[in-house]
Amino acid sequence: MIKFLAAYRPLIDLFLLQSGYALSQYIVLRAGVFSIASAGLAAIGAYVAALLTMRLGLSPILSIPIGAVAGLASALLISWPLARLRGVYQAIATLAFVQIVLSLNLYAEAVTGGAMGLNGIPSLVGTWTLLPVLIGVGYVVTAVNANKLGRAFEAMRQDEAVAASLGVSVTLNQSIAFGLSGAIAGLYGGLEAFHSYALEPNQFGFAFVVATLSYVVFGGRRSVLGPIIGTAVLVALPELARPLAENRTLAYGVLLMLVINFMPRGIVDSLLEYVHRRRMARP
Amino acid sequence: MTTLVLDHVTKRFGGLVATNDVSLAIPPARITGVIGPNGAGKTTIVNLITGMLPLTAGAIRLGGRDLTHAAAHEVGRAGIARTFQNIRLLREASVADNIMVGFHRHEAVSVTASLFGLPSARRETARIRVRTQALLERFGMQRFADHPAGALAYGHQRRVEMMRALATEPDILILDEPVAGMNDVEARELGDIFEDLARSGMGIMLIEHNMRFVMRLCANIFVLDGGRLIAEGPPDAIAADPAVITAYLGI
Ligand SMILES: Nc1ncnc2c1ncn2[C@@H]1O[C@H](COP(=O)(O)OP(=O)(O)O)[C@@H](O)[C@H]1O
Ligand SMILES: [Mg+2]
Repeated sequence: MIKFLAAYRPLIDLFLLQSGYALSQYIVLRAGVFSIASAGLAAIGAYVAALLTMRLGLSPILSIPIGAVAGLASALLISWPLARLRGVYQAIATLAFVQIVLSLNLYAEAVTGGAMGLNGIPSLVGTWTLLPVLIGVGYVVTAVNANKLGRAFEAMRQDEAVAASLGVSVTLNQSIAFGLSGAIAGLYGGLEAFHSYALEPNQFGFAFVVATLSYVVFGGRRSVLGPIIGTAVLVALPELARPLAENRTLAYGVLLMLVINFMPRGIVDSLLEYVHRRRMARP
Repeated sequence: MTTLVLDHVTKRFGGLVATNDVSLAIPPARITGVIGPNGAGKTTIVNLITGMLPLTAGAIRLGGRDLTHAAAHEVGRAGIARTFQNIRLLREASVADNIMVGFHRHEAVSVTASLFGLPSARRETARIRVRTQALLERFGMQRFADHPAGALAYGHQRRVEMMRALATEPDILILDEPVAGMNDVEARELGDIFEDLARSGMGIMLIEHNMRFVMRLCANIFVLDGGRLIAEGPPDAIAADPAVITAYLGI
């Protein structure tokens, strides 16, 4: 067990970090907001946390939560113009936001280190920090799903007009979902900063967007387990497919295509639905 | 006591006047019928009341409150609930979950409590579950509680819509052709429920094609044709009105 952990530590940490980003992506989709802003919000959290510690000497115990608050505040700020947009227009607008954050990071070289990024961030976050944090965030997301907010989100996702007719303020609830997503992204940005010594702007770019979206689409959009299992499989896949050598990316792509085609709700939701139907069919 | 009042309401879609200077009142504790041939503008009026379409002219009030320019969720919060003629359920969600969202307006739990699953939020959810169960029993739908709403038969889907609307505990309930496609026995069952609701003080606006059904239940009936109000009165007067007979009954 200990040996296994030691050998797979980097992979486990990667999974624990990426799961956080997946949950940030999941919660907006859950509320029917097609935002892909998590990458930009994570960048904000990561840089805020890293800079507070490196430049001002703040303890990471403070700077990481402040990074989360920065993610929350940025999300609430952009949720306002975003409230007028729907569907693919929200996706494009949030992609633009990700690009803007990326450009600002490159541009403000004096503060952010530009393309070189930040180096020598103290590495203080490990598996035993990431694990309880993921359990905590997983708990919050589960609680949201089970209560008033989750019911409102589900209604908005499936039919906005119906949700409104029942007294659900779509603008307010979308902002709440977006703020929560921003707080989670900011938190995980900070954790990643203190996990990996270095930050550079491009790690929060297009590849980040595609990866987090894949976790959710692959795993599923309804159950909280969806994004977690999706992340686990897609993070482990390159490792499992090592014998395929340079065809690994091909395997990744094929698997994703198969799931999207044959299990459009993702593996977890499709499975749960299958079990549920079996149970209902019994007399 | 809250009466819903439409005051000289007009709605134009480009050149088409779908609602033409309509004034009507839906009082509490009784069932008010709104009838008229297809395309008369009945559903448009529902959409105007519920804030889903903006008015061209006129005013809408509930009790003392002006709802003319209220957004859809404000109308819902003010105490007006509706069903949709073209059934709009959360198809992927279970029947019980569809109904549980309906209680949103009465959930006093804070965002923080909901976020962290505090006991207050969990108690609220448990309370709502019990009340959902009561609604399911009232409509004889307990055995469908865990079924996905989208998989139900048509008549059952209509019932889910009604239960969801009732979950909001509205002052005014608007039913847009609630028994369309149902047989007489099913329609009678629902009619009894509507009468119960009216007796408990709820104002019901019943839009329906089934004349016998409307005549049996309604205290007062408004007749629309081509967006215009052509008659108003108790059932027997409406049935005898020559304008109604030509326009609606097509005789
Ligand atoms: N959103 C809309 N845009 C344009 N025309 C509409 C719209 N909604 C309804 N109409 C038109 O208004 C008229 C009244 O429709 P409706 O209110 O649905 O009638 P009813 O419910 O009495 O059958 C119809 O001619 C319909 O085509
Ligand atoms: Mg209609």
